[in-house]
Amino acid sequence: MMEVFLDPTMLADFLATSLRLSVPIVFAALGGVLAERSGVYNIGLEGMMLAGAFGAAAGTFFTGSPLVGLVSGIFTGALTAMILAVLAISVGVTQIVAGIAINIFSIGITAFLSRIVFSGQANTMTLPGYKAFALPGLVAIPILGPVLFNQDALVYLMYVTVPLLFILLFRTPWGLNIRAVGENPRAADTAGISVAKVRYLCVLGSGALAGLGGCYLVLAQVYLFSEHMSAGKGFIALAAIILGRWNPVGALFACLLFGFFDALQLRLQFANPEVPYQAFIILPYAVSILALVGLVGKPTPPGAVGIPYEREGK
Amino acid sequence: MSVFRRVFLSFAALAVASVMLAAPVLAEPFKVAIVMPGNITDQSWNQAGYEGLMNAKKELDIEVAYSEKVAQPDQAEAMADYARRGYNVVIGHGGEFQEAANRAARNFPDTMFVVHNGTEPGKNVATLDFYYKQFGYLLGHIAGKMSKSGKVGFIGAQKIKFSTDLVAGYEEGFKQVRPDGQVLIAWTNDWDDIAKGKEAALNQISQGADVVFPTMDNAAVGSLQAAKEKGVWGFYLYYDAITDWPDTVLQSAILDIKAAMVEVLRDAKEGKLEGKNYKMDVNTPAAARLGTYHSAIPADLKAEVEDLVAQMKAGTLQP
Repeated sequence: MMEVFLDPTMLADFLATSLRLSVPIVFAALGGVLAERSGVYNIGLEGMMLAGAFGAAAGTFFTGSPLVGLVSGIFTGALTAMILAVLAISVGVTQIVAGIAINIFSIGITAFLSRIVFSGQANTMTLPGYKAFALPGLVAIPILGPVLFNQDALVYLMYVTVPLLFILLFRTPWGLNIRAVGENPRAADTAGISVAKVRYLCVLGSGALAGLGGCYLVLAQVYLFSEHMSAGKGFIALAAIILGRWNPVGALFACLLFGFFDALQLRLQFANPEVPYQAFIILPYAVSILALVGLVGKPTPPGAVGIPYEREGK
Repeated sequence: MSVFRRVFLSFAALAVASVMLAAPVLAEPFKVAIVMPGNITDQSWNQAGYEGLMNAKKELDIEVAYSEKVAQPDQAEAMADYARRGYNVVIGHGGEFQEAANRAARNFPDTMFVVHNGTEPGKNVATLDFYYKQFGYLLGHIAGKMSKSGKVGFIGAQKIKFSTDLVAGYEEGFKQVRPDGQVLIAWTNDWDDIAKGKEAALNQISQGADVVFPTMDNAAVGSLQAAKEKGVWGFYLYYDAITDWPDTVLQSAILDIKAAMVEVLRDAKEGKLEGKNYKMDVNTPAAARLGTYHSAIPADLKAEVEDLVAQMKAGTLQP
């Protein structure tokens, strides 16, 4: 086992696997951070990611252009988030319930539509997508260069999205508004911020980001759509939000941690065939739980998350 | 208002009663239902189950129903529900339905339950499975001969009888030709996660495997994609996968649950289905056989494999 960490090409290979397993979760977790910072639980990340994957596949399938697929995937993710926004912000439905409903709805509707759109051939087609290309210069860095800078466009997009979201949330007046709405909507409302508008935008942005995670699955990883291909990644993103303490950079590292242990467990299985494989499969989850209780201390979510805001005297 | 409600209720009661009285007068068609763990478009296990049911419907003129993506906690209820609704045969599509079928079978002794890949036949529980080890053995033999590195991969989702039998046969057949070789085994714990299937295969390939054998449902597509991208060989199950993967798939074990289902349901319709295990192997080629050989497989290897099949048919080779 140790040779994985000693041989540079094997190590690079291993880290690249870790990164690829993390990317869709990172996008979804960023979406979750945005929504929860504005005070809305987005349990529907899983469903939005799946919808985004379907949108990406359908868009690319019809036009042959991965760029159209990307736009359509982001749009489909946001469209699914619109359901959550209306239910949670305008109607005031319990956000957790609305999110779960979206996940179930999304599994059904994407399966149904994919059978119509791809007519049962979904699993054997190969859609055009984004292939890895090296960033000249940076790729020459030993070990980390080929891991980080020999990737596809969507991974580079992720590198840009994380700091952008961080700056948006913590260094701009808009971010201040978002956080104010998430911490104390009444005070924000008193200060003249439209709580509903901010939350709508954040939830839609959240869906777009989760949809982008789905786009990565389709356009950069497997080049096809398969029913329920999100396979629980949206739920892992939910844990990453808490582990990353509602901070985009924190969420990024939480996802990378998860991806690292997920890749590690695949390797450990080969090296130790006599140990029951279930012991390795739980590894990434066990590490997440341990990190959650041990490393970060008591997580403090945004003050008003999960509580529908109602103005008095409508 | 209350008068209206009373009238409505009495009409409703009358309607229900007349339906209930009228129902037994109609000739009862033979009804078969299948409960499946995954979706019917997975180009794999579940699709085969669905198509098998549809073939049976056409050939045997029976009434059919199916449920997709039934999760473990809902299995017993889903099976019992069909039994309650008067289905003559209720099929659990996968070894994981054994427990649920046993439970439902106790409550509905007049309904026949069939568990595909089941392990415990009972009074009104029949099981239908394949001699997986045989096919694992044959593919393992091909893998051993075709591998240059001496390392080959096997990817499964969960350790159930189907996959443990397959991998045992695969290892046995492989070691027979490559005693010094190594079979890398990975379990992904997910039948549908394509990305994980792909990463698991990439992992094995980067460790030197040059033949990979994925045995998941949807997720196997990811593994075959990895094989195709890296230019190594793959195997697959259930259908002649070389038609979809002409550069990648060396050979497929066609485990045609469809044909097997039609046979079993024909027995059932004639009232001959018993609570025993129906096992399909090389002697029932309509249901279980090898597919098309890739053109890269040399003629002498082909002859060797055919010879192994002949030995299995004669019963002299029992992996």
